Amino acid sequence: MKRIIGINLAVVLILTTLLGCGRKENTGITVISREEGSGTRSAFAELMGILSDGTDNTTQTAEITNSTSVMIATVEGNVNAIGYISLGSMNDSVKAVKVDGVEATAENIKNGSYPAARPFIVASKDNLSRETRDFVDFILSTEGQKIIEEAGYISAAESGGYNGGGMRGRITLAGSTSVAPVMEVLAEAYRELNPDVEIEIQQTGSSAGMISAIEGVCDLGMASRRLKDSETEAGLTPIVIAMDGIAVIVNRKNSVDSLTGQQIKKIFTGEITDWSEIG
Amino acid sequence: MKQFKEKLMNAVFMLAAGTSIFVVALISVFLFANGFPAIAEIGLFEFMLGTKWKPLEGLFGILPTILGSVYVTVGALIIGVPIGIFCAIFLAKFCPKKLYAVLKPAVELMAGIPSIVYGFFGLVVIVPAMQVLFGGSGKGILTASVLLGIMILPTVIGVAEAAIKAVPESYYEGALALGATHEQSVFGATLPAARSGIMAGVILGIGRAIGETMAVVMVAGNQAVIPKGILSGVRTMTANIVLEMAYAAELHRDALIATGVVLFVFILIINLSFSLIKGREGR
Repeated sequence: MKRIIGINLAVVLILTTLLGCGRKENTGITVISREEGSGTRSAFAELMGILSDGTDNTTQTAEITNSTSVMIATVEGNVNAIGYISLGSMNDSVKAVKVDGVEATAENIKNGSYPAARPFIVASKDNLSRETRDFVDFILSTEGQKIIEEAGYISAAESGGYNGGGMRGRITLAGSTSVAPVMEVLAEAYRELNPDVEIEIQQTGSSAGMISAIEGVCDLGMASRRLKDSETEAGLTPIVIAMDGIAVIVNRKNSVDSLTGQQIKKIFTGEITDWSEIG
Repeated sequence: MKQFKEKLMNAVFMLAAGTSIFVVALISVFLFANGFPAIAEIGLFEFMLGTKWKPLEGLFGILPTILGSVYVTVGALIIGVPIGIFCAIFLAKFCPKKLYAVLKPAVELMAGIPSIVYGFFGLVVIVPAMQVLFGGSGKGILTASVLLGIMILPTVIGVAEAAIKAVPESYYEGALALGATHEQSVFGATLPAARSGIMAGVILGIGRAIGETMAVVMVAGNQAVIPKGILSGVRTMTANIVLEMAYAAELHRDALIATGVVLFVFILIINLSFSLIKGREGR
C-alpha cells in the first residue's frame, strides 16, 4: 500500500515538473504601482496622462506597494514586471526604459526633453521663522544645490554662495518620502555651519506633509509633486528646490528598451496586458 | 507597618491589572468612536459589501479586503496547521532527546523573527519560486498563504505541544497495556484528549494570521479587487490600513479606522468562539 502511494506521488511530481518546463513562455505584463496618495504616483499619473478629469485610471489589477525598495526588488525578480521610481533611487539591478526615445538622465530633464519629470518643493505659509528662512537660503545656494546634484537629482536654482550662519533654534520638516533622503543630507551639511540649529525631518508622504504645513504643525512641508489647487488656496507658497525624473523600470532581462508615453499610459491603464503587444 | 505594606502592594497589583484593561478599553473607544460615524456616513451595506475601493473618488467598499483576509487566513491554516500539529506530536512523543535540544529552540527562534524579515524572505525567495512554478507575478493568495503558514507554525507548535504533554501519562500507558502500539496509543488515546488545547493553538494561529501586516503587504500584491483565483493578488484589511494610513485624510482616514473596527470584530468573534469551545470541553 505504502509503495503504491509512493510511486503515485513520484509520478505526479515528475509530471508537474515536466509540464512546468514545457509550458509556453509567459509574457503577461505585471504592472506595479504605488499606493494612492503617494507623490510619486500622483506625479507619474499626471505626467503620463493616466489621470483624467481627476480620476486615477491605474488598472485595478496593478500590484500596489508602498515602498521604493519593494518596487525595485519586485521588478528585479520578475522578468515581466514594469514599475516606476524616482530617478535618484535608480540603481543597476533594474533597467530604465527610454520614454518617447529620450533617456532618463539629468541632462535631458534639465533641457526639458524627458517627459516624466517633476519638481521637489518645500512649502510653507508666509510667516517663516528666521532660521527656517536661512535654511531655505542654504538649500537654494550653490553649496545646497551641489548636494542635491550629488544625490542624483537636478538642481533647480542658483542664487550664489551661502553667507548666513550663526543661527539657533529648531526647524521641523514633514512630507514626501522621496524628498526626505536628500533633505537629511542637506540638514546635516547645514548643521555643520549652524551647530545650534536642530532639524527634525518626518517622512509622512507629500499630502500629509502639506496638511501639516497648512495646520502649522511643521515649519516646512516637503512634496515630490506640484501643489494642488486646494493647497495653494489654503495659503501655501511653494519653493522648487530640485527637479527629479521618474524612471520607468523593467527587468534587466526584458528586451524592451524604449516605450512611448502612449504605450506606458496603456500599460498602466490596463489596455496593453502583454509584452508581445509592444513591437 | 505590615498592614500598610500589604495594602500598598495590593494597590500596585490592582494598578497593573487596571492598566491593561484600561488600554483595551481605550483602544475600543477610539476605534468605535472614529469608525462608526464613518460607517454611518458611507452606509453599512455599501461599506461591508461594496466591491470597489477607490478612496479618492469616494468609493469605500471593503468586501475585497475582507475576502482577502479570509482567503489568506484559510490558506495559512491549510498549510500551517497540519505541519504544526504533526511537528508538535513529534516533539512531544517521538523526538529523540538530542534532536529535541536542537528542534525546540529552533521553533522558538522562529517566533522571534520580526515579521518584516519574513516578508523580505517571502519577497526574494517564495515569490520567485512561485513565478517559476506557476508563472505570473508570483505575488498573490498562495504566496501569502505559504508565508503565513510558516509564520503561524511556532504558535501552533508551542501550544499544541504543551497540550499534548499535559495529557496524563496514564492515558498513553493504558492504551499500551491494551495492546496498542506506540503510534496507536499516541494518535488514539493521547491526541483526542489534547483536542481542546490543540484547538487553542489553531485559534491563536488564526489570530496571528489575520492580524499579520508587514509580511503580507510585501508578498500579496495588494490589489483591492476580489481575487479571481488562488494565484491572483489580494489585499488584506491590515494591508489596506497600512498602505494608505499615512496619506489619508477626513472620510478616507475614518474609513480606514472603520476597517480596523471590522478587523477588531473579527478577532472578537474568533476569541468568543474559542471560549465557547473551551467552555464546552470543560464540562
